[in-house]
Amino acid sequence: MTLARFVRSLLLAGSVFCALAAPHAALARPGVVALEKSQYLQGDFTLNRHLSGFDKGLKSQGDFVLVPGAGLIWQTTAPFPGTTVLGPGGIVNIDANGDRNKLGTGEAQFGIFVDLISSVLEGNWSALENRFHVEFSPPGDDTWQVKLTPFGESAIGGQITDIVATGDTFVQQVRLNKPGGDFDDISLSRQQTRNLPLPDDKAALLPKAAGE
Amino acid sequence: MTGRHATVWIICLVIAATWCAWQIGGGHTRIDADFISLIGQENPGDTGEFNNINAVRHILAQDSRKAIFMVSAPNRDHASNGANDLAQRLSWINGTEKVTTPDDRAGRLPELIAFLQPHAAALLSPQDREALQAGKGAQIYQRAVQNLYSPTSTVSARSLQQDPFSLLPQFLGALAGYMGEGGGVVSKNGRYYVPVVASLDPRLAGADRDGQWVRDANSAANIVTRDNDISVARTGQVFFAAAEASHAKADVQRIALLATTGIVFMVGLVFFSWGPLLAALITLASGILAGITAITLVFGTIHAIAMVFGSSLIGIAVDYALHYVSIDPKRGSAQQRLRLILPGLTLGLITSVVGFAALSISPTLLLTQIAIYSVSGLIGAYLTVIFLLPFLPVQPVRNYLPIRRSVAILQYVQYRMTPPTWGRLLLVAVILAGFGASPFIIKGDDNIRNLGRGNTDLIAQTTTIRQVLDMGASPMFLRVNGATAEDRLQTEEALRPRLSPLLASGALDGLVTLADIIPSQKRQSENIDLVKTQLYVPYGQKLASILPIDITAADAATAPLLLPDDTSLHVLPELATLQSGNSDIVRLRGVQDASALKSALSGMKNIALIDPASAISSLFGQYRQWAYLALGVAMFAALVLAIFRYGLRDGICVFGAPTGAVLCALVGSFALGVPHNFFTTMALFLVFAIGADYVLFLAESRHSSHDQDTSLAVLLSLISSVLAFGLLATSSVPLVSDIGTVIAIGLIAAWILAPVMAGRRSANPVGIVPAPQNDSPQTANSAPINKDGSNHGQI
Repeated sequence: MTLARFVRSLLLAGSVFCALAAPHAALARPGVVALEKSQYLQGDFTLNRHLSGFDKGLKSQGDFVLVPGAGLIWQTTAPFPGTTVLGPGGIVNIDANGDRNKLGTGEAQFGIFVDLISSVLEGNWSALENRFHVEFSPPGDDTWQVKLTPFGESAIGGQITDIVATGDTFVQQVRLNKPGGDFDDISLSRQQTRNLPLPDDKAALLPKAAGE
Repeated sequence: MTGRHATVWIICLVIAATWCAWQIGGGHTRIDADFISLIGQENPGDTGEFNNINAVRHILAQDSRKAIFMVSAPNRDHASNGANDLAQRLSWINGTEKVTTPDDRAGRLPELIAFLQPHAAALLSPQDREALQAGKGAQIYQRAVQNLYSPTSTVSARSLQQDPFSLLPQFLGALAGYMGEGGGVVSKNGRYYVPVVASLDPRLAGADRDGQWVRDANSAANIVTRDNDISVARTGQVFFAAAEASHAKADVQRIALLATTGIVFMVGLVFFSWGPLLAALITLASGILAGITAITLVFGTIHAIAMVFGSSLIGIAVDYALHYVSIDPKRGSAQQRLRLILPGLTLGLITSVVGFAALSISPTLLLTQIAIYSVSGLIGAYLTVIFLLPFLPVQPVRNYLPIRRSVAILQYVQYRMTPPTWGRLLLVAVILAGFGASPFIIKGDDNIRNLGRGNTDLIAQTTTIRQVLDMGASPMFLRVNGATAEDRLQTEEALRPRLSPLLASGALDGLVTLADIIPSQKRQSENIDLVKTQLYVPYGQKLASILPIDITAADAATAPLLLPDDTSLHVLPELATLQSGNSDIVRLRGVQDASALKSALSGMKNIALIDPASAISSLFGQYRQWAYLALGVAMFAALVLAIFRYGLRDGICVFGAPTGAVLCALVGSFALGVPHNFFTTMALFLVFAIGADYVLFLAESRHSSHDQDTSLAVLLSLISSVLAFGLLATSSVPLVSDIGTVIAIGLIAAWILAPVMAGRRSANPVGIVPAPQNDSPQTANSAPINKDGSNHGQI
């Protein structure tokens, strides 16, 4: 039913972002880092959420960890601490007090986003091409840009108008345009690849990654 | 009967044919093949039973419009591509209304959110409501703040104005949990499973086009599965109905071909002329025409089952023709021959008409339709025999055939075994005693699950789909009664906490109520108050300091509340499956322990647990009871008629023949394991009507010159009836086979009992047909008839 799909669409939207946050090995641009299966990616982010009609945007900062096939940890440190974990089992929000709020359950329902991340990491664009029109801009000397437009009658299409990502060795900037004129600007910095396993505090949030 | 009578009758038949062609051909009268439409047509304003059936009807009507496919492949994209391919192919099929896949959301989500968001404060998830009741508003405030900065947040300028505390996503998330995984992609054992749900045009089943839709859908699925990695399973009532119809149709076609060939061969061989065949044919045709005319005059829609059972009167109508054509032409003119059979024909007609008319005493539309069809059809056939058949050429039965000799021998045997009157009366007493004892021995079995052949492949696919996707048939549901929608919603709100232990223990996989989607107005007002006092008042300003918006709480007294009305139905058509007239439906998923469910519901007023199969079985049980009653009335009427005609003792004996045949059919079929239901009871009706004809014709012809002609006609009638109906017993479809078995046993018993119970016969015990003296087709008992139709026992 539509209501169940609502939850899934949240994950789809999140998964797209996660996928783009990963190094774009498939672009085969010079300097792009390919993430291996035994590695994970970590870095900092700045999220500027612009709401149509409001002068002031909502700005947040923090760090993230992306583990291929396992999920994403998005830890906001300012202005309010909080963590969002996107895994095959769904979305879990953890507030500053450690209270967890799980939105959606079921590996089958939400595993798609892990698939998408993994596909990107493996250089397999077909995972995104099944759901988006993928359009590459002519590369600069050491940068690239890709525009993803969801297919018309898709769940993602109800949430996202299009996505524009730019990067060099890693994805540096992502803009998610939403219906109604809202958009999110996400800047990623200090990205680096590390070898698994995750540190204990992160592994506790992503049990599947810890298992690997 | 004069040529003028015949002309008038032919004109009547032509008018009737024109009327029928206009009514049915022009679509003014619809032939309804939809089984569901039959249910719940009884006298409205009845008891809760009616409401149960009506709810079942509603649920089945909703479910019958859904065909569920499950496309699977080793990886997600492959499965999704296969599902999309299948969805596209299905959407092209005539009769498909809409096809839905997980990837095909058709832009409904924004519409849904836009519809519900203004009511966000009234729509609390159970967890949020509990938290606010416990004074834990801070927790929800924290979550709202975190959601503002979450990468997966769906906050927008509009949502922040209408739902600044992000309550709606929680409500929708809880609702998604109630609804289970149905509709999403599932991964299991290394394969991905994608559901494709086709909504069918509601007119599909009624127009009998569902079989074609299933064939087209199967072709589409076969094309998709040409890719070896992809497999497709399917379920839905439409598939089961088409499979059953296909088996039944194939069987009936095979049997009809055999029966028709057999009857044509028999008539051709016996008479060696097209005249008797034509006589039988026009009698049948006019009977069916009269039946259809009458039913189209009275009803705007005729049910296919009524048509089928009504058409079974061909078994009786053909007898009328056979009795006429079996009279040796040497016995006199056409009118004289007609007079010979007229008393028996009229008595047989009256008995059958009374019998079938008795069906209309039930309040069921189906039985009334059968009654009107049959009564009119029999009268039509009768009038054709007396008005038209005398004008058709006739041929005597060929004496060179062994059938004459066989009849004579049989007649002799019957003569020898016919007991004296006291013996026959004793036999009637035994028959009546048998009827008295039968309710204690023979129990009705109205379980509709026994009617179909059952398609093991489809059942296996249905089980797989249910296990993997949690979709498909969910037989049990709850009906919630209440004077107003508000009452019902409040009852449903009380239901969920009552069933929570079952959900926790796994006795029940899940349930969805209308109140889960649209809470009662009382609950919505409470929620608005809770949100105001526990969120807006303490945290409104705090949140406003982060957000550049003015945060104002809604007021319970003035806030618009969500109602289960047409507006809601427009945005959420799924609500239709949760409402049925003045009742609400609670859909249950995976009832693992029905007894635990029943005990959990005990004491809850206005809630009934309904198993559709049991409810329909119970309905057919009522039909069966009505049919028994009508059969009893028919038997009593036959007894009165027989006594009136033959006197007390002979009348009782004559009455004993069809009654005994019915008892034999009842006991014999029971011994063979045939379940007794409405349909087999209707078969008993046919046995009674044909059996009554046998004995009445024989009783009328005793001591008459045409006695042997009548015996021959009865034998031919038996052969044709067994060919027409008895062969049904060979069908692979239990329903068809059961009817055939009952009729075959009953008719053979009727044929044996009829001459015995018709009284001592005047047939020459020698009974041997003298050898023909010349080439002319000399027949036995061909003495001329007197004016009174008898030959005073001359052989």
